[in-house]
Amino acid sequence: MVTKTEETQLNRLESQVDNGGGGAWEYLCMVRKLKVRRSVKVLKHGLLILNDSKKRSSLGPEEWTLYEQVAVAAMDCQSLEVAKDCANALQKKFPESKRVGRLEAMLLEAKGSWGEAEKAYSSLLEDNPFDQVVHKRRVALAKAQGNLTGAIDLLNKYLETFMADHDAWRELAEIYISLQMYKQAAFCYEELILSQPTVPLYHLAYADVLYTLGGIENLLTAKKYYSSTIDLTGGKNTRALFGICLCTSAIAQLSKGRNKEDKDSPDLQSLATAALEREYKQRASDKLSVFTSGFKSLKVSS
Amino acid sequence: MGGGGGELRYEISQNAYIKLVLHSLKHKTSAVNGVFVGSSCDDVVQIIDSVPLFHNHLGLLPPLEISLIMIEEYYSARGLGIVGYFHANERSDDVELGSVAKNIGDHIYRYFPQAAILLLDNKKLEALPKGKDRLPVLQLYTRDASKNWKLAGSDGGCQLTTKEPAANAVLLDYISSKKWEDVVDFDDHLDDITKDWLNPGLFE
Repeated sequence: MVTKTEETQLNRLESQVDNGGGGAWEYLCMVRKLKVRRSVKVLKHGLLILNDSKKRSSLGPEEWTLYEQVAVAAMDCQSLEVAKDCANALQKKFPESKRVGRLEAMLLEAKGSWGEAEKAYSSLLEDNPFDQVVHKRRVALAKAQGNLTGAIDLLNKYLETFMADHDAWRELAEIYISLQMYKQAAFCYEELILSQPTVPLYHLAYADVLYTLGGIENLLTAKKYYSSTIDLTGGKNTRALFGICLCTSAIAQLSKGRNKEDKDSPDLQSLATAALEREYKQRASDKLSVFTSGFKSLKVSS
Repeated sequence: MGGGGGELRYEISQNAYIKLVLHSLKHKTSAVNGVFVGSSCDDVVQIIDSVPLFHNHLGLLPPLEISLIMIEEYYSARGLGIVGYFHANERSDDVELGSVAKNIGDHIYRYFPQAAILLLDNKKLEALPKGKDRLPVLQLYTRDASKNWKLAGSDGGCQLTTKEPAANAVLLDYISSKKWEDVVDFDDHLDDITKDWLNPGLFE
């Protein structure tokens, strides 16, 4: 995951490069390190270096890393000719390489030759069943064809081997959410919370899924996870504060008359509302009245 | 809505239309959604404005509820309400109206029975620079008597029109000047409440 500081740094560097201030190579390295998707910029600035033989050779062996990076970015931008040129350069330099083989398979995928790409990935996996990138490409291939159940099957199989891959769990959760399979999505977030208990994002996503599922039990649990999100972020998470308001109001509606389990609600509710009110007053005062009038009606009378 | 014979028409303002198409262009690789705001009079639903909603986890309820509460609150004070739902699929070749979109449409329908779902038509959007199509690059879905969302027929084009006839030309202009970079949605707002989902100044 990319932190806020890293993102600011990256954006600053990006605008510097965009405005001709230099630092293109540093920028490209940072994009690789953070694994962010800035294909248009990578293609533009990477190609400028590759087309300048002096700049290119000054990179030393890193030159080949750049060829690979630009190839992938070019595929993402549908600049297939550029991608092909890069892949050919790499192929010439490393004729036996599996990594270049992977790139060529991706090129088939970018062209939309699904069948051929699938074949190429399968044969790469026969040689090396533990190539995580290829496994993930196959998931992407299924997704690109709109075959979401296929993508789910592949991801589940992948996760049997690579259980600690958080990104894969997240991807699986997101596909489940898009198919409205909320119970399965909740399971993914439980896995993520178990393996990384201090990441607020997972607590928040879990709470959101439980709230969507509905029912008194899920709402009570959702509220706990909104609370832990607030705890883990030092009270700074707007979504979780709103989540508390929604939960409390939904719980109150569902348990009218037999409101025993949820005694702390009024307090928590007014704390969350007050925190949001303060935030809006200080940082977005033009939305304060919309917020207060909208969420006043949600308030539960204690 | 007692019969009346005449078919419902939807007239969308240029800004409401362009704002949401730009929103989908800002997040090309994910599904995005939004709502249309307006009012109805006789057999015409007038779409005056729009609010871009989300580009992540469209299927989750809490962010949606938060946004609808605040949007309702803001526009009802101005005599307007939510009259439609906008959706753009994740894959550009996906022309189906998915279940998440239908469910959100159902929700809006409960409060506004003439509600429409407008699905972005990527094929038409891509063809815009080549043609002189004046119709919005959106597919119109309305709810039929059996409560299913149905694509308006081949003549459906006339059921949905833009208020300003040159809206597509303006849209192309904004696309070429990368106007989409400036669109703020409710996801952005919830991550940083100083980001304004009303997008003031976007068209100035």
